[in-house]
Amino acid sequence: MTKKFSRRSILRGTVGGAAVGVGLPLLDLFLNDNATALASGAATPVRFGTYFWGLGLTDTPAGGTRWVPQKQGPGYEITPELVAFESLKDKVSVFSGFRAIPEGRANLVHWSGHASILSGVAPTASGSFDDASFDTKVADALGGATRYRTVDIDASLSRAPVSYSTRSGKTFASPEVNPLGLYTRLFGAGFQDPNSDNWQPDPALMLRQSVLSAVKEQRQALMSQVGQADRIKLDQYFTSVRDAENQLAVQLQKPERREACSPPSKPDELPRGASVDVVNANTRMMAKLLAMGLACDQTRVFNFVHTSGASETYMAGHSKIYHQITHDEPTDAKLGYQPETSRLAEQVMEGFGAFLEELNAIPEGAGTLLDNTLVMAFSDTGYAKIHSIDNIPMFLAGGAGGAHRAGQHIHLPGEPVTRVSLTAMQLVGAPVGDFGQGSMKTARPVSEVMA
Amino acid sequence: MKQVRYKLRQRLAFGLTLACALPVAADSVDKGAEIYRSACKGCHEVSIAPSLEGVVGRRVASVTNFADYSEALQANSDKHWTPEELNRFLEAPRDYIPGTLMMQTVPDPQERAALIAYLTTLGTEPAALDITAPVSGIDQPVTVAVRRLNESQYRNTISDIFGADIEVKARFEPERREEGLQAVGNSDLSMTSAGFEQYFGLAQRIAAQALDETRRETTVPCSVPANEAAARACAADFVNGYGEQLFRRPLSEQERNSRLALVPEVSAGEDAFHQGLELALTSLLAAPEFLFRVETAEPDPDNEGHLRLDGYSRAARLSFLFWNTAPDEELLRAAASGELFNAAGLENQVQRLAGSPRFEQGVRAFFYDLMQLDGFDNLIKDPEIYPKFNQVVADSSREQMLKTLVGLLVTDDRDYRDIFVSNDTYINRSLAAVYKVPYTSDADWTEYTFPDELERTGLLSQIGFLSLFAHPGTSSPTRRGIKLHEIFMCEPTPDPPADVDFSKVKDSKAGTVRGRLLDHMENTGCVACHRRSDPPGLALEHFDGLGQLRKFENGQLIDVSATLNGADFVGASGLGELLHDDERIPACLVRNVYAYSAGRVPDEALSPFLSSSVAAFAEDGYRLPGLMQRMAVSEDFFHVVVPSGAGASDQVAASQ
Repeated sequence: MTKKFSRRSILRGTVGGAAVGVGLPLLDLFLNDNATALASGAATPVRFGTYFWGLGLTDTPAGGTRWVPQKQGPGYEITPELVAFESLKDKVSVFSGFRAIPEGRANLVHWSGHASILSGVAPTASGSFDDASFDTKVADALGGATRYRTVDIDASLSRAPVSYSTRSGKTFASPEVNPLGLYTRLFGAGFQDPNSDNWQPDPALMLRQSVLSAVKEQRQALMSQVGQADRIKLDQYFTSVRDAENQLAVQLQKPERREACSPPSKPDELPRGASVDVVNANTRMMAKLLAMGLACDQTRVFNFVHTSGASETYMAGHSKIYHQITHDEPTDAKLGYQPETSRLAEQVMEGFGAFLEELNAIPEGAGTLLDNTLVMAFSDTGYAKIHSIDNIPMFLAGGAGGAHRAGQHIHLPGEPVTRVSLTAMQLVGAPVGDFGQGSMKTARPVSEVMA
Repeated sequence: MKQVRYKLRQRLAFGLTLACALPVAADSVDKGAEIYRSACKGCHEVSIAPSLEGVVGRRVASVTNFADYSEALQANSDKHWTPEELNRFLEAPRDYIPGTLMMQTVPDPQERAALIAYLTTLGTEPAALDITAPVSGIDQPVTVAVRRLNESQYRNTISDIFGADIEVKARFEPERREEGLQAVGNSDLSMTSAGFEQYFGLAQRIAAQALDETRRETTVPCSVPANEAAARACAADFVNGYGEQLFRRPLSEQERNSRLALVPEVSAGEDAFHQGLELALTSLLAAPEFLFRVETAEPDPDNEGHLRLDGYSRAARLSFLFWNTAPDEELLRAAASGELFNAAGLENQVQRLAGSPRFEQGVRAFFYDLMQLDGFDNLIKDPEIYPKFNQVVADSSREQMLKTLVGLLVTDDRDYRDIFVSNDTYINRSLAAVYKVPYTSDADWTEYTFPDELERTGLLSQIGFLSLFAHPGTSSPTRRGIKLHEIFMCEPTPDPPADVDFSKVKDSKAGTVRGRLLDHMENTGCVACHRRSDPPGLALEHFDGLGQLRKFENGQLIDVSATLNGADFVGASGLGELLHDDERIPACLVRNVYAYSAGRVPDEALSPFLSSSVAAFAEDGYRLPGLMQRMAVSEDFFHVVVPSGAGASDQVAASQ
């Protein structure tokens, strides 16, 4: 599919279809003439990630929407709560009107919405999903070749780590919760600089492999006498052991060069707090590290939490938390919405803007890292005051390596949220034909955004 | 099972033919059960709402031990809950009987029919399925639980086996609280890739420290062997010894051999030999048999057709309950000898465990979990509003709660209910600053009794409880009340219904929080839960979000009088007295001792055991050490529940 690197094209001075002169950065010389692949023949990988924030956006029954654009299709206008990503709006598709369908199950507040988006089925109990979250399917499809199959991040500074990624529905991923932890995981011990000239395999890695083999040998004996629930648990444990083995195997191979990779220095500690300005600063720092981790090909899949479902973030110095304000603040009769809630929503979205900016700041090929990534962003509710799971705001950001026809507003009221999830999976090439259960089962991606 | 289901269908069909109204397939009982679990159980199985057992056909507002019926329902007490009546009510309760506190609605007719079909089955079934019945066909050991080791259990085990100075530095997998306890939540948890990565790294670092040149002599059971046979014997001793301590049972031959394969021949040299031992140890430390507590049941030779929890699983239960660590050599010996199957042997070991200074470690771990003290790790307070708050204060207030509990209940062996009424505690310098009391001791901590005028009566008036269950910038009477019910009475509060109407809740920036909460009380969708959760919290309103004493909020005097279940009380001391005499509280503790140890909530079959434990607890003056010992020597404490699909030869699978 990719053309071989042509020496002649360089001699002609043409790369990526454009004439180039002296002084062209070296990296571009290693691109084929479609500027989509490294000259060695290895394609620039497509990455996938989820981005979650709590408490939705403002679109009230009184008609005071603060986020749904009027215009549909390409070239939608920027609404007040979307201002944070205005400069990147051509790389972001907005999905409005999509809903979670609980189907006889209670709408579990601040839980049913994103549980439906991720697992495709309304959950029976708060705190667990009734099926695996779909990011794990994407990770299985995309994540095998990198050191980490997936990296989970929680920037919320909450009391307990927040993650909505799960294989079993009960055990959720244990995320990195601060920049130092994330730095250590991505660039600390065991990191191999893909651009290093004197790469050598570490023999200790092979010894570790033998240790894991001994652990795995007992699998049969352990599994022979367990019940279903325990089998699921042990299966997941052994999947994790296999991931560790895979990590060792990856580290024993010379990594492909990644020109955009330039390992960062150790980050500073953040001030303690969970006010929205601190969470946003944490989000930006962790996004920066994550972006470099992606550029250095340490992982190709991630899950990023900005704030949790019933978000406890707040404006510094204010006594009420955001969650409380969404419920208590009356709707302003003139404006048709809750002004303080909407201000907080704008600030929360600044975190998303910062996140995208960091991914977009790393040049890769003819574009940026964001162009080779697909980020699916969503919240737990639509209109938080009434715990609505209709019209949950969802976004697809990034080019997915050219697969995403970005920059559109798709308005499909009443359609299940799972259609967007399915679209995301298919855009990054996960082998998935349908997604969801019951009324949320769908085999119809949103084709308008698929190139 | 099939037969039961069949009968049930017949009865359903009959009942519904009479009702003549609801076209319901009997299969929908399962659907109804699901709706019940997700929408009804939260209130109707705790004191918020009356029990629904036998509701179909019952007179309206007629459950005698439920005192909180709304006037609206009481006014309808001439009616009966026939299926037709329930059908109309559930469609829109607040329209059908205005003033009812019922907050759920079931608008879909089919879902309603399914729910009513399920309700018909409640309370009419003779004690469901007898799970203690002989499990015929299982003639081999089966795994009955796989419970992830928690962080403190891991740390204690490593420290006991390899020495307290071994550094254990890693990020442990997050835990999950279920039914009020992480011990129960952990029974559901597995290990993620990121988590295993951490445990694997930790295993490597612990093994490296244990076999470091400075420590090798004590870790390895032999000096460098001279010949191959001696080397094999040494390596086998090493793997067997540490394997048994880590796996909490002897290794199987296969388990041992797969580790021995990592140890090279002695001719490879001394370093290689030790490196091999290090790899073998790493592999034991990364193994699921260490990282999870695998509990096994075996056929009971004295009771044909029954299973019993095996000796090693019993030993681990005891050791983790009393010491919060893996069984020591003596307990493993007792497990091997079969002593834990007879009353005298069991009693000996329980007395030994409870009599040890390490018992305190076990009690601390229990209360750490029960009181949700893990919350202090990431407790956030807004620095502008609470400048006195920092991590030292957070850690100290957690320690104060633990010291208070251990001091009262273990050291002084006092009545458990005293935790609600005693002013006796321990403080350190940083706490003294927040409490605004003098600190005169030279020691890090000192015993202290709060003078009455400080209103610090009982554990709930300590800044630990008060700050943990509050918001970053305010107190929260609701959160405090909810947690109090959950932790001490085993009564969780369900999430608010999603369609709750907040329109009556005003945004009161002025005045006290009481005003805002009274708005809830005017709202029928809120009142059923808030009239239960808020009063205890309102009595604690003299303490702000950090737990500092105050009398005013926004310039208004704070009223700390409250009413709960018809009882009036004032402030922390009034609340303490009320709780002291609440019968649910000792029963809840008994339930939690069992649930904490077994990693699951007690099932129906254990009701007699729990009742008799509660009675004995009362008779003994509500002393905790006695309670734990009496429970741990009972055969019921090791009650086996076979998980579905376990140990199934085909025959068993078919009969289930």
